[in-house]
Amino acid sequence: MSGFPEDDRSRHTEETEIPLVPVQAYSRPHVLQQIRGPLSPQIIELHGDHLVVGRSPEVDIRIPSSALSRMHMKLERYQGGYRAVDLESSNGIYLNEVRIHTATLRDGDTLQLGNAVFIYHEGK
Amino acid sequence: MAFLVRFWGTRGSIPTPGRTTHKYGGNTSCVEIRIDDTLFICDGGTGLRELGLDLARRPQQPVVAHFLFSHMHWDHIQGFPFFVPAYGPQNTCFIYGTSHGDTRFHKLLSGQMRSDYFPVDFSDLNANILAVDLGTGTCDIDGVTVRCFDQQHPGGSYAYSFEKGGYKVVYSTDNEIDLTLADPEGVQQNLEAVRPIPRALVDFVRGADLLIADGQYTDEEYFPKRIGWGHPRATTAVDLAVQAGVKQLAVYHHDPMQSDGDVEAKIAACRHRAHRMHSQTFVFAAREGLELKLDY
Repeated sequence: MSGFPEDDRSRHTEETEIPLVPVQAYSRPHVLQQIRGPLSPQIIELHGDHLVVGRSPEVDIRIPSSALSRMHMKLERYQGGYRAVDLESSNGIYLNEVRIHTATLRDGDTLQLGNAVFIYHEGK
Repeated sequence: MAFLVRFWGTRGSIPTPGRTTHKYGGNTSCVEIRIDDTLFICDGGTGLRELGLDLARRPQQPVVAHFLFSHMHWDHIQGFPFFVPAYGPQNTCFIYGTSHGDTRFHKLLSGQMRSDYFPVDFSDLNANILAVDLGTGTCDIDGVTVRCFDQQHPGGSYAYSFEKGGYKVVYSTDNEIDLTLADPEGVQQNLEAVRPIPRALVDFVRGADLLIADGQYTDEEYFPKRIGWGHPRATTAVDLAVQAGVKQLAVYHHDPMQSDGDVEAKIAACRHRAHRMHSQTFVFAAREGLELKLDY
């Protein structure tokens, strides 16, 4: 019998092999978006398990400001994202205005280190 | 000296995992306070599970934990059977009662681990799990002065203060301060007015560097439907913090219906209130994974 709904669908549906293991079609790294302070604006992609932020030329993410300690903050991999750790800096780390010692970072968090301000964007 | 406070669970009533609670967290009440080498754990909600896993990875072994429970409602004890250090024979957990000979909390904790409720019996925990008490309500534990305070909550609850080296933290959850006000009905007539907090509670909290306080409800949520449910308006916790001269107020025990955005709106209202009172108290939302250092 023509015009029956199943007949219409079968004309437009082709067989497709669907993989058993989900394939991640798109990924993006975790990012710090610097919005204030020396070198801003800039986007810093976060790669690796441990990253040190400070004013020293020897750190992973250098911000040339006397308001930052030489080794100010460590970002360490934690539960798929990053955790911020204060390295006994002079001026501290402020997460959404709260002075913290350590904190698990979440999408949209603001981090202030001295006169440098960042927004953390979770990757995928 | 090192005086650290870390939030492992900040939600009240029931765990609330999910996208809308990703930022402030969905685990129920658990706070770690580390003063030098001494570990205090305030409440054993579901956040205690993650704390236990972290303790098992730390270099400082064996684990010696001093547990101070506000009370024994589910959301404050659910994590204990999943506390990994409780299974290690080299570890010790002190479960504190609030007065001489008080072993209620130890008994009730063991009660939730019976085969009717849980497949592992309390007696199968291999750690030394000891019932101790705070004596007269004030006790010295490794040089830390610990005090307790009776609160307003169905079935009762307790706040605890921790003092050492001139620093003080108060943990005060599940306390319906609004019911203890001289004129609870009057508050609703003028929400902007200052709410005089009972003197005894103000004195207990006075001068704290950090007050972790139950702020479960917004003003709109609290009245009239949640009167007597055991939790205050968050704005009343602000009045307590301001009147006690607290430096920082961590609003805690977020309602399970509150999304991250709702929590932030609640905090905005609290900050606005503190600002109107010309107070220096800094208000923020307690959040999982946040660790503060008090002794800068």
